[in-house]
Amino acid sequence: MKISHQWLRTLVPVMLSPEKLAEGLSMLGLEIERFEDQGKRLDGFVVGEVRSVEKHPNADKLTVCQVAVGTQTLQVVCGAPNVASGQKVVVGLEGATVPRDQHATGGPPFVLRRAKIRGVESQGMICSEYELEMGDDRNGIMILHSSAKPGTPHARHFGRSDVIYDVEITANRGDWLSHMGVAREVAALTGKKAAIPAVKLRESREHVSKHASVILGDKHGCQRYVALVFRNVRIGPSPMWLQNRLMSVGVRPINNVVDATNSVMLETGQPLHAFDNDKVGGHSIVVRGAKDGEAFTTLDGKTRTLKAGSLLICDNQRPIAIAGIMGGLNSEISDVTTNVLLESAWFDPVSIRRTSRYLGLSTDASQRFERSVDIDTCLYAAQRAGGLFQELTGAEVLKGAIDVYPKKRKQTLLKARISKINAILGTNLSVTRVSALLGRLGLEVQSSTADSVSLRIPSYRRDLIQEIDLVEEVARMYGYNNIDTETSARIGYAARADAGPEDDVRNFLVGGGFNEIVVNSLQKRSLALLGEEQPVEVLNPVSVDMEMLRTSLIPGALEVLEHNFNRGAKGMRLFECGKVFWRVAGGSEDALEDYKEEQRLLLVLTGDHFNRHHSEKQRKYDILDLKGEVEGLLAKFFLDKCRLIPYDNGKPLSVDNISIEIQGTYAGFLGRLRKEIGAKFGIEEEVLVAELSVDVLSSFWNKDRKFRSLNRFPSVTRDLAFVVAANVPQGNVEQAIREAGGELLSGVFLFDLYSGEQVGVGNKSLAYALEFQPADRTLTDEEVNGIVSKIIRHVQSACGASVRG
Amino acid sequence: MVEKIRHIKEQFEADLKGVEGPADLEALRIKYLSRKGLIAQLFDQLKAVAPPDRPPLGRSLNELRAFVQNLFESKSSSAVAGGHTSGIDRSLPGRPRPVGTKHPLTQTIEELKRIFAGMGFGVAVGPDIEDEYHNFTALNFPPEHPARDMQDTFFISKNILLRTHTSPVQIRVMKSRKPPVRVIMPGRVYRNEAVSARSHVLFHQLEGLYVDRHVTMSELKGTLVSFAHQYYGSSVKYKFRPTFFPFTEPSADMYISCIICNQKGCAICKYNGWLEILGSGMVHPNVLKHGGCDPEKYSGFAFGMGIERMALLRYGIDDIRLYFENDLRFLKQF
Repeated sequence: MKISHQWLRTLVPVMLSPEKLAEGLSMLGLEIERFEDQGKRLDGFVVGEVRSVEKHPNADKLTVCQVAVGTQTLQVVCGAPNVASGQKVVVGLEGATVPRDQHATGGPPFVLRRAKIRGVESQGMICSEYELEMGDDRNGIMILHSSAKPGTPHARHFGRSDVIYDVEITANRGDWLSHMGVAREVAALTGKKAAIPAVKLRESREHVSKHASVILGDKHGCQRYVALVFRNVRIGPSPMWLQNRLMSVGVRPINNVVDATNSVMLETGQPLHAFDNDKVGGHSIVVRGAKDGEAFTTLDGKTRTLKAGSLLICDNQRPIAIAGIMGGLNSEISDVTTNVLLESAWFDPVSIRRTSRYLGLSTDASQRFERSVDIDTCLYAAQRAGGLFQELTGAEVLKGAIDVYPKKRKQTLLKARISKINAILGTNLSVTRVSALLGRLGLEVQSSTADSVSLRIPSYRRDLIQEIDLVEEVARMYGYNNIDTETSARIGYAARADAGPEDDVRNFLVGGGFNEIVVNSLQKRSLALLGEEQPVEVLNPVSVDMEMLRTSLIPGALEVLEHNFNRGAKGMRLFECGKVFWRVAGGSEDALEDYKEEQRLLLVLTGDHFNRHHSEKQRKYDILDLKGEVEGLLAKFFLDKCRLIPYDNGKPLSVDNISIEIQGTYAGFLGRLRKEIGAKFGIEEEVLVAELSVDVLSSFWNKDRKFRSLNRFPSVTRDLAFVVAANVPQGNVEQAIREAGGELLSGVFLFDLYSGEQVGVGNKSLAYALEFQPADRTLTDEEVNGIVSKIIRHVQSACGASVRG
Repeated sequence: MVEKIRHIKEQFEADLKGVEGPADLEALRIKYLSRKGLIAQLFDQLKAVAPPDRPPLGRSLNELRAFVQNLFESKSSSAVAGGHTSGIDRSLPGRPRPVGTKHPLTQTIEELKRIFAGMGFGVAVGPDIEDEYHNFTALNFPPEHPARDMQDTFFISKNILLRTHTSPVQIRVMKSRKPPVRVIMPGRVYRNEAVSARSHVLFHQLEGLYVDRHVTMSELKGTLVSFAHQYYGSSVKYKFRPTFFPFTEPSADMYISCIICNQKGCAICKYNGWLEILGSGMVHPNVLKHGGCDPEKYSGFAFGMGIERMALLRYGIDDIRLYFENDLRFLKQF
């Protein structure tokens, strides 16, 4: 919200400079993001008097004017059709910045230069309203009142010496949406008193009740309705001082009646609405809830469809306004209006917010009502506006006011314990000090004891409802930065920095040369649907690219591969640790139990192997590279508790899959991305992916390691080669070796794999180095020979193998 | 001096021609390139030269050193160095080893975890898919209150949503254990906002919570000042400013003196010399009650910060989209 320094000064004495005021209020929580000295705007623009106008010698639509701007007279080439001798105008001098260029789209600012226009020198520019950002008229130059004095700077002529603050309002302080509210905060800051402007009304003898009536059909939605009635209103433009005041805070002047209501809203925070009383059927106001689907045309000319429960202001037969949000076209003030009914009411914040959001219509009024206005200000605000009507329009104010206020708000008292205040803040304040601090906010002490104060809460502070609210007010007034900074924090409890394997896994992978990625969990439908589970869908996505939550880490990573391949990457080693989400089949949708999320770990290898070196044959990553990475990772953290099982279980994204089990529990898989999936992302390289459940890893996670003593006896190694049919998996042979080898067999290493004529067509040779490690003795040759024979026999029978000689 | 430089250059070229074995090469190195060699002596003499003359002389000295170094290295890697070595060309590139990187967001979270662990904070996490109760109601957001507009929400159903902040984890932690509770809660949060350099639908927060008997605002300040000094350096200045959050009261934004420009004014601090680094406050009694803690017995403080913003201030990453684009040229910088 914009706050005018000069306006503020009519409500409270301000001795502080704008800088000091902005800093002081910000430190009270009323944040002032920036302020602007309007006197410095439109520097280089002055009032000029057009002395003569002659036709341009070389152009039909241009004129050459002599313009007096105080001590000198400038020659100005002008293209406006309405320029005439004797006019007072605004002239931009050389070097001045014109805020808007009306001949360029978007109206960018530009700097004035002395120039020859069609051969005639122009030493300045006569400006339009549009160019000066003072209105939208760009059909001709702006003409000032004849009393304007040539040479006067623009800012001074328009009385623009004000400073305008841009105030950021927190959601709890609707009362700050007014100059009065800010003035009260200034008073709290400086210790001065803020004063409400007195109301001067000369009421006529005719009583208001003969010309209007109010019925509250919804006493919860509308808890107070004040109506004043005016006759013989002359609609016209507001005087300059009011127009300037409104313009300085960014409100466009319309006519004297509307301007007066806006001005009172900006001053008191109470939104007002003026109806043309001749268009209010039966001169009667009825406040009621809308019917579902009821249509209504607001004064911006748009027809809106309402929902049941939205509050409407109606006359004796039809709606005339959407309460607290916008008036209707059918009862709007027009140039011929003479009788006015002025509304000043209190509407339920929840109801206004609901309707405003439903209609997608947020107005200055609705923003205030939904933060709650001061119910006890309604009558004052109406009378304050009445005073302005009388002054500006010569209106006759009918005697009295209709004031329907069925449940008058009671004065609230709130108690705060001094011990509680000090316990929360870590201060040592006395009762007297607390009373004084709160007194600056206008909270009067009603009674006090040694440990407590009871305070009268003003009606404009609806946010103060419990003790803790007073604790905060004390803290604000005392100054957050005056509260001690206690550095002796009590470090009573040791904290374990992490509970799961995630950080260790990350370190392991980074050490192994993987780059970590962090991918958006919201993705487009087509990506989320690639996974196996039912995706979770967002009801109100920002775009079709982010409609669903990911069910797998793989599709998002493929977009990362696509991005990097397109930027010249040749090979990638990536990992991500992140959540996936899915819906539980048959769930109700509206309970947390219907949704599941799981932390996953993704490994990706693709493209050129990192071994690019002149001495090596460049190769691509393959499935065994990834299998090795996964084996290394699992061996590091789970020792020998895990198994990798080649098993094609119909994964939607990959083939050649290998299931990963830890102590018999499925923990994830690795595999080769299906070519057709890669093609969707324009990826031609083979992509190897592994996706593991971090939740499963965590459940088997045990950082406690016990030392095993080192073996003192030598081990024995024997090499052994088997020839088997080519379709027998290596794993079967290895398993048979291990089964027969028993406890003494401590290592099985495949050192050669060969297929060729020497072993017969359709066969392959597998050569192993077998290591035997006894725990308690030195092995004899005989013992080893015995085990080797046993192994050979078993592999022969289990795999149909023969020993290669 | 100029003369000396020219002379040493010529002398070196002559000496280089005479090198026949490893011993000669080492002697050459000691004469010219060692810590007390001829070139180092010239650099010492530079200090005696009048300041205005120093830059050009410094430049030619550096050129000389580079010249000598290059010729020395090419000589030493050539066969002359032979002797008992294998004859391998040691200037050939080494066999590559892949260099892994941790995402800057992870690095930031890890550093924050380390700092807070040192102050006795453990780590807790909660779900990204939350319900209205944990995300709003339990955190003292009244229904239909404008405070809910502060956080544009992605809804999944009427009651289910993507958490807009990590604060719901506060409720889950309080419900799951008895005070004292001292934890930080890092995690992903979601806001229904247009994606731009400054805002994204997704970002990361780190929430902190401390609930016990006799926890004060004074201690909140002490903890956060200690954090700021550890993370940003002990010379940063700080201030606390009143603000509003439904779940804390009193609520405070914490600012530190701009570490980018040292309060001289820059775009990051919007030319006012101060950076907002976190929001904080004393846990609201209503929130304590929702967490199952009696506000007459216990008090607490909470704070929250944006990880992307922390990383921005640390690394100068000025476009939030870069974090989630995962361009390798970006990732490999960290």
